[in-house]
Amino acid sequence: MGLRSDIRTAFFFARKDTSKNKRVFALIIIAIAFATANIIIINGFMDGFSNSLMDVTLDISSGHVNIYPKENERYIEGLGIKELKLSRMENVIAHSPRLYSSGTLSFNGKTKTVKIVALDPEKERDVTTILGKIIEGGTLKRENEILISYRIAEDLGANAGGEATLVFENGKSKTYRIKGITRTGVMDIDASGVIMYMGEVNRILGLSGKASIIMVKISGRELAEEYRNILKKELEVTKVKVWREEIEGIVGSMNTIKKMTDTVIAVGLFAAAVSVGVIIYVNVIYKRRQIGMMKAIGMKGSVIFTVYLMEALFFAIIGVASGDALGYMGTKYLETKPFYCPIIKEYISAKFYTYLLYDASIVSGAVVVLAGMYPALIAGRTNIIKAIWGT
Amino acid sequence: MKIIDTIYLKKTYRLGRIEVNALNGVTTSADEGEFVAIMGPSGSGKSTFLNLVGMLDIPSSGEIYLNGTDTIKMDERTRTEYRLKNIGFVFQFFNLFMELTAVENVMFPMMLSGHPFHRERAEELLEIVGLNKRSNHLPSELSGGEQQRVAIARALSNKPKLLLTDEPTANLDTKITREIMELFRTLNHDQHQTIIMVTHNPELGEMADRIIHFRDGKVEG
Repeated sequence: MGLRSDIRTAFFFARKDTSKNKRVFALIIIAIAFATANIIIINGFMDGFSNSLMDVTLDISSGHVNIYPKENERYIEGLGIKELKLSRMENVIAHSPRLYSSGTLSFNGKTKTVKIVALDPEKERDVTTILGKIIEGGTLKRENEILISYRIAEDLGANAGGEATLVFENGKSKTYRIKGITRTGVMDIDASGVIMYMGEVNRILGLSGKASIIMVKISGRELAEEYRNILKKELEVTKVKVWREEIEGIVGSMNTIKKMTDTVIAVGLFAAAVSVGVIIYVNVIYKRRQIGMMKAIGMKGSVIFTVYLMEALFFAIIGVASGDALGYMGTKYLETKPFYCPIIKEYISAKFYTYLLYDASIVSGAVVVLAGMYPALIAGRTNIIKAIWGT
Repeated sequence: MKIIDTIYLKKTYRLGRIEVNALNGVTTSADEGEFVAIMGPSGSGKSTFLNLVGMLDIPSSGEIYLNGTDTIKMDERTRTEYRLKNIGFVFQFFNLFMELTAVENVMFPMMLSGHPFHRERAEELLEIVGLNKRSNHLPSELSGGEQQRVAIARALSNKPKLLLTDEPTANLDTKITREIMELFRTLNHDQHQTIIMVTHNPELGEMADRIIHFRDGKVEG
């Protein structure tokens, strides 16, 4: 008579008790399995969606590390020497400076205020995919060409191949050929972005060796934090942002959506836990006399508690394992069925991550075992006389 | 040697505002190897006495000695262990574990006490009660008489010093009742098993070595 025989007896009885009613057993397992699979699939979907969204946003509009002008300054100075240093730095794959300015664009008598995004197409292609987001016409080839966003095209009634006059912020104006129309998924560029050659803008604005931003691509985005400090030191700049900071808005939005999906998951999990708790509770009430007899024979209250806790554990192990398998298959299936996201104009899909299995298993398992705790406590505390004689 | 010795045993229950004296100062005893029947009308305190002697309940006052050990002073854990090793119970409603087969029901107390050869011993006990061919049947597949035999085998599994039985044949027909009583007599004669049996039936009481009559929570005479 000891801990070993107590556990062995509790295991023996719990196994017999759970396997007796196979239909109820199957129902409980299904409830837990679906709740667990629900966690994996919804989180897989959400994580896949948010990661795709982040990747796409980063690919289009940001480097892994972005350098900005010093506080209260409009431009980064000494662009040439900074670019030279960047090109010699270890782990820096590419960089692309941009110059932001504003102006008004006129076409067929209509005018619209625009944001000028001036860049070097050769360098930009190595850092972002923005120049590939053309829905009509072609990409920039010459300095007398511009790309305009689809919203500008709609507002002005412009098409690729047409000519539009751009008035710069210094009052100078020039007519450009609309080479293509873009749809990037980046809100401000889609609203009013005109993309053109940086050299052309520098010339017209009379600028030299200046940029509004330098986007830097490094060999892995996990190195971004490390390179923030390296770049500050090596390039003598003060304002450097890493990719995560650049997409804070998206991360924030995704977190809000995730909170909502977490609520849905919690409801599903709660329903599964309640069903397990209720079934074990009903079992305990139904077997009150039997539990009284167990105690009369000489089974300790703690061992009876262990019996019903083990039952919950059996349900948890089998239910969670089934749910893991179901969730894995479901997420993998959804991975093969990407859908088109009209916000970012890209195909996105659920994605399976191993941590989803661990998270779902721990959460579901813990909730189910906790749900079995109360009926197990009741069973352990059953009064022998009242139970046997039904008083 | 006295296996049961109770001194001025009282048990009072509270039913709402009313106090019911189920036992009102019972002083009695039973010797080792005795087969004692406890008889009396309903509400005379027979079952309450059995519960107290079986350590299923605690008296309001008085003393209980089992094999010379004062059981009142034991804590809950010690009482549970004592019951497991020293007392076997057979109740009116058999109270078998419905999800276990006959042999598993008999094995169960031995598993709790850590008996190394519980299955072999359980098979032996089922043979003693004449059920060795039904050992792998579930209780739902056994008749009332067979279920009670399994309950008796289970009660004997840890070789208890004391077998307590409360109306063991109340749900059985005359033929089966006779068989069960014969089984008790055999156990008492051949194995010197001490048996305390609560019964309403005077015919069954006559089969015991001695009868203790209860009335109004006291021993009569």
